[in-house]
Amino acid sequence: MTAVLKPTLARCLWTAPAFAALAILITVAARSIFGMSPVLQESTLLTVAYIAGGIGFIVGIGGFDYWWTWMRGGELDPNDHSQHGAHSWGDYFKFNTDHKVIGIQYIVFTFVMFLVGGMFAEVFRSELAKPGQQVLTDQQYNGLISQHGVIMIFVFMVPVFAGIGNYVIPLMIGAADMAFPRLNAVSFWLLPVAAFTLLSSFMFGSFDGGWTGYPTLSEQSGYGMTLYQLGIQLAGASSIATAVNFLVTIIAMRAPGMTLFRMPLLVWANLATSALVVAATPFIAGAQFMAMFDREMGTHFFTVAGNGDTLVYQHIFWFYSHPAVYIMILPGFGIISEVIATHARKPVFGYRAVAFSSAGIAILGFAVWAHHMFASGMEPWLRVPIMLSTLLIAIPTGIKIFSWLGTMWGGVLRMTTANLFAIGFIFTFVIGGLSGVMLAVVPFDVSITNSYFIVAHFHYVLFGGSIMTIYAGFYHWFPKVTGRMYNEILGRWHFWLTFIFSNLVFFPMHYQGLLGMPRRVADYAPEFAWSNTLISIAAFILGASTLIFVYNMIHSARHGKTGGANPWRGLTLEWMLSSPPPIFNFPTTPRVIGGPYRYGEEGAKHAIVPEVEPATVETTV
Amino acid sequence: MSAATDHPAPQIQPYRTGLRPETLGLIIFLVSEVALFGAFFMYYANLRILNGIVWPGDFDIPADSTSINTLILVLSSFTCEFALLSLERRKNGAVFGWLFATFMLGAVFLGLQVHEYMIVGFTPQDESTGTIFFTLTGLHGTHVFIGLVLLLFGMIRALTGRWSPERHSGLLGISIYWHFVDIVWVVLFTVVYCLPSS
Repeated sequence: MTAVLKPTLARCLWTAPAFAALAILITVAARSIFGMSPVLQESTLLTVAYIAGGIGFIVGIGGFDYWWTWMRGGELDPNDHSQHGAHSWGDYFKFNTDHKVIGIQYIVFTFVMFLVGGMFAEVFRSELAKPGQQVLTDQQYNGLISQHGVIMIFVFMVPVFAGIGNYVIPLMIGAADMAFPRLNAVSFWLLPVAAFTLLSSFMFGSFDGGWTGYPTLSEQSGYGMTLYQLGIQLAGASSIATAVNFLVTIIAMRAPGMTLFRMPLLVWANLATSALVVAATPFIAGAQFMAMFDREMGTHFFTVAGNGDTLVYQHIFWFYSHPAVYIMILPGFGIISEVIATHARKPVFGYRAVAFSSAGIAILGFAVWAHHMFASGMEPWLRVPIMLSTLLIAIPTGIKIFSWLGTMWGGVLRMTTANLFAIGFIFTFVIGGLSGVMLAVVPFDVSITNSYFIVAHFHYVLFGGSIMTIYAGFYHWFPKVTGRMYNEILGRWHFWLTFIFSNLVFFPMHYQGLLGMPRRVADYAPEFAWSNTLISIAAFILGASTLIFVYNMIHSARHGKTGGANPWRGLTLEWMLSSPPPIFNFPTTPRVIGGPYRYGEEGAKHAIVPEVEPATVETTV
Repeated sequence: MSAATDHPAPQIQPYRTGLRPETLGLIIFLVSEVALFGAFFMYYANLRILNGIVWPGDFDIPADSTSINTLILVLSSFTCEFALLSLERRKNGAVFGWLFATFMLGAVFLGLQVHEYMIVGFTPQDESTGTIFFTLTGLHGTHVFIGLVLLLFGMIRALTGRWSPERHSGLLGISIYWHFVDIVWVVLFTVVYCLPSS
């Protein structure tokens, strides 16, 4: 009974509807007082209900309890750790301030969303298996492909890296937690709200503008489009809050001796990514605000009738969404550097160059947005500069690829599943990178735009790139998180099935695109029949292979062999703790004494964790 | 899933930067606020460069009366800073007083903005220029409103005696936010009101 009053999910069951109902009441009252008609305008009510319901959910889970005390002028204890750490399974479903718990919450939640988004793909792949109409109407098809993209990008790919970073980064830099643990928890709990908002749009006629939601199509769509715009705002807010948290944590909470060039490369990658998120994400918020005002209030940002400029949406949208591509891959690059150095037993080749290339990608990432718009009718003078900057960005990416190859060169490679995924990633990512360079060339892009070649390209960089790195990271840190080893044989099955069938799914799309098969269309010309059938069959097997991974993770977390503190003999700080790490991480503040990748040096150490805290000079009054 | 070797919570570590983490976090957050305003300013710049700004119905926006409003907001930045100076001298009553003055100036600013909306003669639904005028000033107005709410909390905590020269990162944050809102307004006033409509 008291569960509905304490900060739990049970409390959310009444706070969220109560807030939504209150918001609807206030809106209806305001509309009738100011004489607006109609008083019951559905899209406005839907918007306010979802915003207020989302806030109600965060209130219910306990996100505002601490700040409520602050607001009413109460006494606060900065050393209050009552919500810290998980002592039972139930604690993973509560508002928790421990970065390790939040990391697991992130990873599990986003992976469930990955499975949901993947299911959408399987459904529309079954539609595409044969020419003609099978299981879906055109409208449902458009809804499913849009949902697939948005779910995968905004509630899987961007936040899953925040989850891995959440777990690993405070450990890697020797901190007790993130800089703002409560903000960290709020940014996690915003994600279920965003996911609910996006998924519930099926009830109102799903949004069907693709994941980009361009006007003027988005201005004519049903209520689902409103929820798309809201859901992106919520996921974006979560992403910005996490990025601020990472930046402050990395800047201010490193252990003594952890200079910038002693930081592991995953920390560097997260630093660059977080800077990108902070500077770029508000632009998609701006674009969605404008599109939403046009829909809800009849403003004229993008309507040609009111002298608006439709193309500006694309400019602002891609000013976020191109950096977002790097937000979705840079942390993966960091993971690969960690995995390869640890499993090849060699120092990272060109450490500083890799660190600077992350920063270089982050800066250049802002100068390439218009390469998504070569065929949009934008200002022609913009094409060549953007083409050149796009080609330029292949250089820092190439630096990273050569660094991984150089790190492996002559190393004693341990072919664990984590390392297999890292090596497979290099293979598939290079294919995606090469087709990216092709697409940067304006004449090629103009002739191939909106075809399956584009689909092939971005699935090679996002599936063959990001998702391979995510799997590599999952396998690499699984022994640290659970204290147990995963099943290596199942892991290998998972890797080979994923690797072979993802290539079988996405490689034929290059040919389809070059032959002119348009994307985002539910039907296609008969000559594409056999290749689409092949892709669909491969996609089903690819989906099924994920189940091996899920089984492996769940089963090994309970029954796997115990792995000990450091099964990979890694040198970075997280491996110096027990597995799983103690609730407040390090018993004493670690001292960093050398670089993170001193593999192959006799007795080399990255850091020491003193047995007892060295005596500090007390200044007693 | 906690190990057997749990140990008690550490005290908060000393930080290597001169800034407290809250302040650093706020400044980083303000970068993203600049980007949010940047999206709307980008739209405005695009309109201005491509089509030139002609306010709907040949109406002109009242630059003269708004310059008085600008002065009011700039003044409120100073009163906000005086609150922090009084805190250093441990004058808690003066802290509340200066915060209250800041709050009142901000409220007057917001009131005059609403008045301007009523007399300006066009609406957000009149062409894209009307839209961008209302959304730019409205976005800023929303930030002023949030700033007022924060000032209210600052006053409550001043009354309950929670600010001290040693622990006042919240008050510092409120003042940084308020200065930010002020600076954005000065930029907005310059490019929207002062540049002649063409």
